[in-house]
Amino acid sequence: MSKIFYDHLIILEEIKVYISRVSSSQEEKEELWNLVDEIVHHRIFSMVLDKLPKEHHDNFMNKFYKAPHDERLIKFLSEKTGEDIEKIIKDESENIARELRQLVSSKNKR
Amino acid sequence: MGQLPTQTYHTIEKDRANFDYLRNKLKIKKLQESDKFQISYPLAHEFLKGKGLDLGKIREHSSKLIGAAVMSGSLLLTPPSSFKSLPAPHEIIEKFRQNTNPNLKSSHDLIVETLASVIPKRARPLSRVEEKLIEQVFQNVIGVTARATLEGEHLNTTYGYIGAEQHLRRYPGDKISDHGEGKVLKEGIAPGLGAWGYFTGSRESLSESDIEREKWYAVVQTLYLPDWDRRQPFLKSWYKYRKVLIVNTNNGNAVVATIADSGPAAWTGKHYGGSPEVMAYLGGERYKKGPVIVFFVDDPENKMPLGPVEYNNMTLAGGLYE
Repeated sequence: MSKIFYDHLIILEEIKVYISRVSSSQEEKEELWNLVDEIVHHRIFSMVLDKLPKEHHDNFMNKFYKAPHDERLIKFLSEKTGEDIEKIIKDESENIARELRQLVSSKNKR
Repeated sequence: MGQLPTQTYHTIEKDRANFDYLRNKLKIKKLQESDKFQISYPLAHEFLKGKGLDLGKIREHSSKLIGAAVMSGSLLLTPPSSFKSLPAPHEIIEKFRQNTNPNLKSSHDLIVETLASVIPKRARPLSRVEEKLIEQVFQNVIGVTARATLEGEHLNTTYGYIGAEQHLRRYPGDKISDHGEGKVLKEGIAPGLGAWGYFTGSRESLSESDIEREKWYAVVQTLYLPDWDRRQPFLKSWYKYRKVLIVNTNNGNAVVATIADSGPAAWTGKHYGGSPEVMAYLGGERYKKGPVIVFFVDDPENKMPLGPVEYNNMTLAGGLYE
């Protein structure tokens, strides 16, 4: 099993369709899926650490290292930031989707 | 008129160029995001580096941790307070036999009500206790022997969201118009092949079983299995056309399908995929995504037919198994 605590908040549909169209094998498809996955992790982490006060960074990183799948991390982050972290992650997911859409459409315009 | 064989390389080259373009763009973007993270949060980066982790590959770390926890039986994905006191399987069956609840008009109602009392509203991996109870209910009410763990194999999650997939090409040159008629053709045909390639080598060799396999196919996330790379080629062969029972937790509709592709990607918000026919049966023509339970069908003699499981008029199966 593979799960990260924010998986359920990330929904990128358009890039999935485009990847299916340009990949000629399962291996190619999975290579592109993994690249998108890596982009997502870096973006979400940057955003989360940006919102989280510095004094809680260590604690969060330790908790994450021990259980990256644990959805209670959302609660921890919401409490420490005082913000609706689910909504913030969803918004960031939409930003990523928009950027990936632009990346694909720039190819089609060439 | 279709393309002449001598013209098909134009399409192949175009697709190749699109793939290379997208791969390069995604690689550059990944490097930019990774650099930005390292510069903005050097301590967090150092923390992960000190643990031998790359944030981009964090899914592998999660896989190892969860795999170890499942082996030791210590997996805890939800807070203890959210665990419900589960009813005993015989209580559920007895309740249906006595039919004291006026809302329970059919076996489907029993499945929906039972699942609602056992599993959380939002999909998550189930505990072994929950899975065992559901296995017994499925066997007694739906009449299908299905297992969350079969021959030691277990899916990433047995409770998750299924999404609509397109038809798969069964042989070179296969066309959407040859996949039946009506609304199931609306989803179209996938541009690439399923994870196991064509179902057969040519139209002439297409058998009834190939047709059924494509018609009732499922997609599961084999690529995220913790030991997928390590246990090849065994796992690829084990999962190829493996039968699964898919039950819509909202209406009790059940279908037996074969695994014919790998996916969907983790960032789609879905955990499984279903062919147009599977999706139409589970939730109707407009059904694109919904919560389901997916168990392996225990069918060593290959007797269980693929397709819808009509169990509404069935009497309850015999005694409970242990």
